[in-house]
Amino acid sequence: MRSADPQTHSMVIASDYRVPNPDRVWPLLQRRKSALAGIGAHHVLVYTSTHDYGRVLVTIGVRSREPIVELLRSRVFFDWFDAVGVEDIPAVFAGEIVERFNSSTPSQPTAPGVVIAAIASVDDVSILAAEIRGAISRFQTAGVRETRVFKAFDDRHEVLILQEIDDEDAARRWIEHPDVVARWMTGAGVGAYPPLFVGKLVGMMQIDG
Amino acid sequence: MFVCLCNGITSQVVADAISKGASTTNQIAAACGAGADCGRCRRTLRRLIDAGCHPGR
Repeated sequence: MRSADPQTHSMVIASDYRVPNPDRVWPLLQRRKSALAGIGAHHVLVYTSTHDYGRVLVTIGVRSREPIVELLRSRVFFDWFDAVGVEDIPAVFAGEIVERFNSSTPSQPTAPGVVIAAIASVDDVSILAAEIRGAISRFQTAGVRETRVFKAFDDRHEVLILQEIDDEDAARRWIEHPDVVARWMTGAGVGAYPPLFVGKLVGMMQIDG
Repeated sequence: MFVCLCNGITSQVVADAISKGASTTNQIAAACGAGADCGRCRRTLRRLIDAGCHPGR
């Protein structure tokens, strides 16, 4: 079943890795649209780091939960990593959305915001969602426009949290002094988890099946 | 996190192998299959070894 809203109730595969030339990522992905459609992808979003040249974050929305392991084994991913020049295969997050929290203000500027992504382990995903819900006004004051929480299929403690923040200054303040409920920020970069990703959306592709 | 895409092995499974004594990528491959095929996840496996067998917690 497909969702009308690309960001809601979507299962997601996310990977954060380095490429020799980040400018090649988006056009190469566009050329693989039919291959992505073949594995059930319906949306692909690409972010590039604004502080760490060569680092990209790619999220792929897929239609079905069942084939995730098989899907990860498919040649599509390996061919993709080969095409963009990735030698070492990165760890991949696979999960589903828990909730999308909108904290934008009515007078929100239309310029794209800065995206901060974190993959981390939390004690309880439901409690975290409730805490974020209770902190929306503080998030808004801090310049956070949106927070999307995804939980992993393979680990009930593991989350991917994507936040859009007004601008670089607000993002820096958020990283240096996150809200008390944003404890996931300190869990990024531990073990298999990549460090905090700070970047901008460079493209979103919708794929019709 | 899925660490080894060839065999669908997660960081938790790798952490478990490390906690049971695996301390090299070859030992991890023997214990759970991660890194046993194409071997392109071995850098991540080494990171997990260096992190002290923690998947993230």
